[in-house]
Amino acid sequence: MTGRLVRRLLASLLVVWAVATATFFLVSLAPGDLATKLTDPRIAPAARERLRQHYGLDRPLAKRYLAWLSGVVLGDFGDSFLYRRPVREVLAQALPNTLLLATVGLCLELILGVVLGLVQVRRPHGFWDRALSAFSLTAYALPTFLVAAGLIWLFAYRWPLFPPSHMTGLLAPADPWTTIKDRLWHLALPAITVGLTGCGAVARYLRGALLDEQAQTYILGALARGASRSRVVLVHALPNAALPLITLLGLSLPFLVSGALVIEVLFSWPGMGQVFYSAVTARDIPLIQAVTILVTAAVVVGNWLADVAYALADPRIRR
Amino acid sequence: MEVRDKKMLAAAFLLVLLVGCRRQGPSPAVQGAGPIHGGEVVVALAQDLSSFNEYTGFSESTETLILDLLFPSLLVEQPDYQLHPPSFAPNLAKAWEFSEDNRTLTLYLRDNARWSDGRPVTAEDVAFTFRVQKDRRLGWHGLEIKDFIEAVEVVSPTVVRFRYSRVYPYQLMDANDGHIVPAHVWGEVPLEEWPHTDFSKLLVTSGPFRVATHLPNQTLVLARDPNYWDQPKPYLDRVVFRILPDVSQQLAQLFAGQVDLVLMVPPREAASVKQDPKLELVEIPSRVWGYVGWNNRRPPLNDRRVRRALSLAINRKALVETVYWGYARLANGPIPSTMWAYNRNLPVLPYDPQQAQALLDAAGVRDMNGDGVREWQGKPFTIELLYPGVNPLRAQAAVLIQADLAKVGVAVRPTPMEFTAMMARQEAGNFDAVLSAWEEATKVDLTSLWVTPSPTTGSYNFIGYSNPEVDHLAAQAREEADLAKVKLFLDRAQELIVEDQPVTFLYEGIQLVGISRRIKGADINPSSVFFNLPEWYVVP
Amino acid sequence: MRSALPRRLRFGLALLAAGFVAAVAGPVFLPDPNAILDPRGAGLLPPLARVFVVQLADGTLLAGEAVHRSGDKLMLWRAGTWQELRLAEVQGVTRRLFVAGTDGLGRDVAARLVAAGRISLAIGFLALALAVLLGTVVGLLAGLGPGPLDRALMAVVDAALAIPLLFVLLAVSAFLGQQTTTVVLLLGFSSWMGVARLVRGLTLQVRQQPWFLAAKGLGLPPWRLAVVHVLPHLATPLLQDATLRLGDLILLEASLSFLGFGVPPPVPSWGSMAAEGFEVWRLAWWLPILPGMAVALVVLAFALVAEGLGELARGEA
Repeated sequence: MTGRLVRRLLASLLVVWAVATATFFLVSLAPGDLATKLTDPRIAPAARERLRQHYGLDRPLAKRYLAWLSGVVLGDFGDSFLYRRPVREVLAQALPNTLLLATVGLCLELILGVVLGLVQVRRPHGFWDRALSAFSLTAYALPTFLVAAGLIWLFAYRWPLFPPSHMTGLLAPADPWTTIKDRLWHLALPAITVGLTGCGAVARYLRGALLDEQAQTYILGALARGASRSRVVLVHALPNAALPLITLLGLSLPFLVSGALVIEVLFSWPGMGQVFYSAVTARDIPLIQAVTILVTAAVVVGNWLADVAYALADPRIRR
Repeated sequence: MEVRDKKMLAAAFLLVLLVGCRRQGPSPAVQGAGPIHGGEVVVALAQDLSSFNEYTGFSESTETLILDLLFPSLLVEQPDYQLHPPSFAPNLAKAWEFSEDNRTLTLYLRDNARWSDGRPVTAEDVAFTFRVQKDRRLGWHGLEIKDFIEAVEVVSPTVVRFRYSRVYPYQLMDANDGHIVPAHVWGEVPLEEWPHTDFSKLLVTSGPFRVATHLPNQTLVLARDPNYWDQPKPYLDRVVFRILPDVSQQLAQLFAGQVDLVLMVPPREAASVKQDPKLELVEIPSRVWGYVGWNNRRPPLNDRRVRRALSLAINRKALVETVYWGYARLANGPIPSTMWAYNRNLPVLPYDPQQAQALLDAAGVRDMNGDGVREWQGKPFTIELLYPGVNPLRAQAAVLIQADLAKVGVAVRPTPMEFTAMMARQEAGNFDAVLSAWEEATKVDLTSLWVTPSPTTGSYNFIGYSNPEVDHLAAQAREEADLAKVKLFLDRAQELIVEDQPVTFLYEGIQLVGISRRIKGADINPSSVFFNLPEWYVVP
Repeated sequence: MRSALPRRLRFGLALLAAGFVAAVAGPVFLPDPNAILDPRGAGLLPPLARVFVVQLADGTLLAGEAVHRSGDKLMLWRAGTWQELRLAEVQGVTRRLFVAGTDGLGRDVAARLVAAGRISLAIGFLALALAVLLGTVVGLLAGLGPGPLDRALMAVVDAALAIPLLFVLLAVSAFLGQQTTTVVLLLGFSSWMGVARLVRGLTLQVRQQPWFLAAKGLGLPPWRLAVVHVLPHLATPLLQDATLRLGDLILLEASLSFLGFGVPPPVPSWGSMAAEGFEVWRLAWWLPILPGMAVALVVLAFALVAEGLGELARGEA
């Protein structure tokens, strides 16, 4: 088992390297280079040439690649054109924000999905089961931008309960309680969007898995021993049904991160997604490369962690 | 209850009412008291500053607005460019005088201007700034402005002297261009390192406000600088810039009262802003003018007749009406009609598709195979029209132009592009046509746009327009001392340019500013929206 | 005997049928999706709005909410004021109904929704075809081939699955420029992995079946084995997967267009329509909602059909 996990880890690292290299060479395909971006057209060509030298654009491709790669490994992605700061700094500020949103959103998604699944399973094919099934399916089909926009309009403008954008409204550092409250309020709508769009899949999966589990003999045994229905479901069926949820979550990481892109843009949430979007619109090459690599790494590592968690959680595998 | 108690109760009740009422309404004493100190104003901004250092940043117009508040300029340009080149009011320099031969300008700085770290602003800073501006390695885009200034000397901490190589109408303006930066802090950083230095870490400012908080791409908070020399201003405690790239979000927050000022209200929403009793719509005639830039180097667009035909075939008036909802004027020439240098006798190009067709035929662009699209050298005449995809007004204009030109047999392919990619193609000369706009500086200089580009200096003349007579006139206008003669040169140059139609002039913009009525004392004028920001105050 | 198709399947198919009819019949009954009609007078009209369209001698069209004759003049209530037109100039007056309203340029939203739908579906189908083709080939190779090949291919699949879709799509789009072909290719290449996994899994099951072993024992060449003996058994699960996948692809394309990196704009797309609509949502809330709902309905339809097919398969088994 350890061997397999180690192999998976190595494979993951290979993937990250491949993506990094791809972004590097992709950039060289793009028309117009960074000197255009950085400078005013009225600058003398000689000054522009000097800038290219500074950014090393006049060196051969292979050398630039190696230099860039060694920088990346050490965590140095160069300077962002858009922010005039090292990419490292820009990302260091943005990453925690995305992690916050993703984690809270994921938790919401899980809780909502599990609750929905459990309710549906109480009386299969009953009214609630069918209604919530329809709800899950609809939530899955609705494009993220629609859900986000709907929530903003309803709960930020129509009934101003939550702020419509950004991560914080505080203009100066305040006491911990105010800061937390402010953060929570700004986090509410984006996180709910993440939760709503994802809970459908979780609920549908869990419903199916729980129904399958309930058909197993050990459940029958527990019921025969006199355990109540709810206890049987919660204590016996749920843990087993939930195991593959871990993998499901791992697999949904890419979607979570990508989906968060649209959400971050709509809510002006200062995370990796919004930074990436600004970078792409502004053709900020170092930043685009860095975010792509980092997000790939996050997803890949996340999947690997899901693998590890699954292995640890499933006693059958541990043996 | 006894009658006596009731009366007491009634009296008490009345008393409370009276006292309460007086507290609620604005008492006459307060109303006449003038500006209220304190409070804040929230401004919606579409994008964050690219840099706190204008000598390495992009100099986008909203950036200049903000930098105006943080870094001092020697003088303040007045919004009176309609009749003559703008005049100036004292700022950092409280007085100035020219020498007899007008080749020397002496400026007397005030002695109570301070940087935010307490150090005084001195002539040394002015001299240092000049060195930065002239540095060819740094390559500030305004380098040419200082061409005729040979030297800046420090006579004393509060007296600085500019020496000119010639006498011309813009001496004061050229000396004033570019904010003064702190020599004692920024001078420590070698100029070669400026392009990749993060100046937000070296923020030492001097002005009505200083930077209190900067969350990149989120918020920029400016707080009142107690060191500001024009006390008791500014009245506001804080100016908060909230970065909202989406205009509809900006407006939604304006209507909801979360934002007090929107710098560019889309024309379509103007009516809603006017109707809202809490808001006011201010219309500022701007010096921005929009155009379709034809690639003058690319046949058949290098033929004057073809370009003129295209201009005649576009219903420019309808386009302006449709896209800008009446909040723009038809543009006729390279200099906006609100400026002193505008040639009032310029012929106005009508909407005449018939004539357009005749001209196209004469130029050899004809429809040979009867498919409704003209051919040029055997191939269908298609024009790829580039425009910045993020701008919905350009998108609309592009579609309308496509429709208009289709009526005369010219196929147009509107192509949205990302802004830098579009710039790259423009610079490389790799385009048919671009839909863009230009903001004319208050100093009227035709050199950057209309003079034949030379290989040694950069230029904004991407379309490749070249008319030797215009070159000559522009050079003369630049160096002439007599304003009347300058006007003559510029008038003639405008005539020639309009005859040549290197671009199709579309519209002259009107900037629509949406502002909350709780802001008082604001003089929003064509020079700057924040022209007198230190005098703004808010009523609760 | 089986009485009827599962309800989901019926509902889903009904939705799809409605969509198909709209896509085919739409262009016949609805106006040109790119025809601009008087942005000032007919811009941002709500669904079911009716306007009078006045055609002038020079071909210009003006739209307004009310008309009446006044002597030798025609009065048109347009853009908030009465406009006077000389009767001599007027060539004709007609009435138009906009089922789904108009956008900022006075273009018929219903027509644009249908046109965008055709584009989105076309792109979805092409991308799906690419994904299914590539995925099936890889899956078959992995399932039927030797162990090392299987492991290698699956490693590639796992790697590809890890790449963050939207980010890469945006980056590539930004650098290679917006083109329809690029979008189709990217969508296809982002989706083949699931197909590969599915095909591989099924192939592995089929491999153990007695009739397969018999066929293999006969010494048939691998490609014949694959095509004749394995593929038919993949048909139903693949169909179910493909249906669901199509919905996902359309959803992804909509998000991509919404962010501005999908098909280049003269071509309408639900995503870009929604994005344009958001710029004016305060004045025309239906503009972003309608394309969004169109996407949702199509994805829902495909998902229902997919689930229905699943139920059908389970019923049969």
